[in-house]
Amino acid sequence: MYRREITVVNATGLHARPASEFVTLAGRYQSRIQLQRAGEETQYNAKSMIMLMTMGLAQGETATLSAEGEDEREAVDALAELVANMQD
Amino acid sequence: MKLVGNPVSRGIVIGRVMRYEPFCPQIRESPIPAGDVPKALARYEEARRRAQAELDVLEARLRNTDKDKAKIIAAHRDILLDPAMDQEIRELVSGLKLSPDAAADRVYGAYADILAKSKNELMRERASDLLDVRARLLRCWAGAPERTLSALPGPVIVAADDLYPSDTAALDRTHVQGLITQVGGATSHTAIIARSYGIPAVLGVAGAMEELADGQTVILDAVEGVVVTEPSAEEMAAYRAGAVQSAARLQAEKICLDTEPVTLDGVRLEIRLNVAAATGHELSGAAYADGCGLFRTEFLYLNGDHLPGEKEQFEAYRKVLEAFGTKPVVLRTMDIGGDKQLPALDLPRESNPFLGVRGLRLSLGRMDLFRTQVRAALRASAYGNLKIMMPMVGGLDEVRAARTVFDEEGSALDAAGIPWDHGLALGIMVEVPSIALIADIAVREVDFISVGTNDLTQYLCAADRMNSAVRQYYQEYHPAVFRLLAHLAEVCRRAGKDISVCGELGGDPLAIPALAGMGICRLSMGAASLAGAKRVVRAMRLSEARALAAEVLQLGTHGEIRARLQAFAQEKGII
Repeated sequence: MYRREITVVNATGLHARPASEFVTLAGRYQSRIQLQRAGEETQYNAKSMIMLMTMGLAQGETATLSAEGEDEREAVDALAELVANMQD
Repeated sequence: MKLVGNPVSRGIVIGRVMRYEPFCPQIRESPIPAGDVPKALARYEEARRRAQAELDVLEARLRNTDKDKAKIIAAHRDILLDPAMDQEIRELVSGLKLSPDAAADRVYGAYADILAKSKNELMRERASDLLDVRARLLRCWAGAPERTLSALPGPVIVAADDLYPSDTAALDRTHVQGLITQVGGATSHTAIIARSYGIPAVLGVAGAMEELADGQTVILDAVEGVVVTEPSAEEMAAYRAGAVQSAARLQAEKICLDTEPVTLDGVRLEIRLNVAAATGHELSGAAYADGCGLFRTEFLYLNGDHLPGEKEQFEAYRKVLEAFGTKPVVLRTMDIGGDKQLPALDLPRESNPFLGVRGLRLSLGRMDLFRTQVRAALRASAYGNLKIMMPMVGGLDEVRAARTVFDEEGSALDAAGIPWDHGLALGIMVEVPSIALIADIAVREVDFISVGTNDLTQYLCAADRMNSAVRQYYQEYHPAVFRLLAHLAEVCRRAGKDISVCGELGGDPLAIPALAGMGICRLSMGAASLAGAKRVVRAMRLSEARALAAEVLQLGTHGEIRARLQAFAQEKGII
């Protein structure tokens, strides 16, 4: 298991097109990837658009991104970088 | 054989029937035996594959013709293939032994509910996409073929029991040659949509779904209100000639389209246009009308896939305002309820919808929707000559409550520095007898009234206009309708307030002289009625119309009034 904290920087948040990019990238990895909002228990499947929309991470919110599997490190690093550089 | 119904949108067309029967899923509520789980999951997988294949075909077909729709279909495929929902469905089947259709119904429903409550407008819109995909998946599970009116393979005449506004709003206009339904009259929403797209339609055809088969050739005569099944060669030839003639008559009326509606004794009437779906076909009438007397905004809501946000509404309103330039546009706030149900809202079923939560009643009960619409409308008022009216008003309490909302939203726009027309006129529809009978008091608090004769007639006659069994009691020429109109005209004349008629009666060549004679000189109607109405005005004198109105007000029955109006029209060479 490998995990990192992420903070949403773009104005839209993890919605619409940004969420779609995130899900597409997550789907390229074999590992099971999950998101957990800071201060909450619920784990959201990071490969699911529906889960991301349900979670509705807004600008300025932080979450824990975790992965478990052969490519867990690559997956988390790539996704964390995507979120850090996300633009609307 | 010949089937008969109401010709609600004129035209004659010969074509092939496509039966439209929307699929109703029957969810299996009882759990499945543990041993059946692998089989059930395999069948679920197959249903999902079928649904995916349908979406692939649909997207490929739309990619070149309608890019926006193609994108929506692609998003539907992403939802269908969503790994998290798929996993949850499988867990419910393996764990709780739910039948996969029940599991899918539950999982899609749960996420749609969550998204529908989102603060983000884009997310809320996705809720209806989820429900749409769920419907497709459940249909594929049942092995039923796809039935849709939004992407048809070729030209067809659609036959259905009834059409929801969402069906007609999504209509593939390039391929629908005509409409036949078993339910519905001249004032139903299917009729209004058919007219606004210029699609010939015969509604209220009893037995249509028993008699008509897929692929069968029929003659749809939406001038006489007849559907000819298995037409003979002679009938085909006769109707082809008839189609040419009816085109010629429409052409003759069109000559009047570009004229001024001035009576022979020099009185200028105002002929306005009713706008529903704001299609190009409809808005092309703007050049020939004195403004828009009724802009039915509910069509924005009835699209089925989502509730329109402020920006979407603002842009739609602005488009209509700009089409009319400096001419007035009377926007009617959403008139939902009655025969206009809203799939995206999931409103409770009422046993008497026409006497239930509709029009302004619904707006005041759903302040979130109402405020969004009011803001969008006020913002649009900066881009043209906008007036706003509210439907289904029964008393002054509702008018005052609505005015408060307008005042508050106006102040909020001021605070945000957003321009709007501070002199904007606010009026009401008069359809409910209770407001009609206190009109003298009501006009002190509103800037204008517009009479919706379709609903006023059904409430006065206590006859549901959608119920063909009481068709004979729904009397558009009932003396009570004319007497009440005369009363309203007099009240407005004394108070110096504007009155107009925007129901079917306003565009009726027989009724126009009597209305003008009562002093109702501002009429609003569908694009198809404009030329005919101008022709009537130009053929009569207002002095004669006044005498006619006085006579009509002394007649006792619908039949007597109709006969008198017909005689007048014949005298003037109108019909």
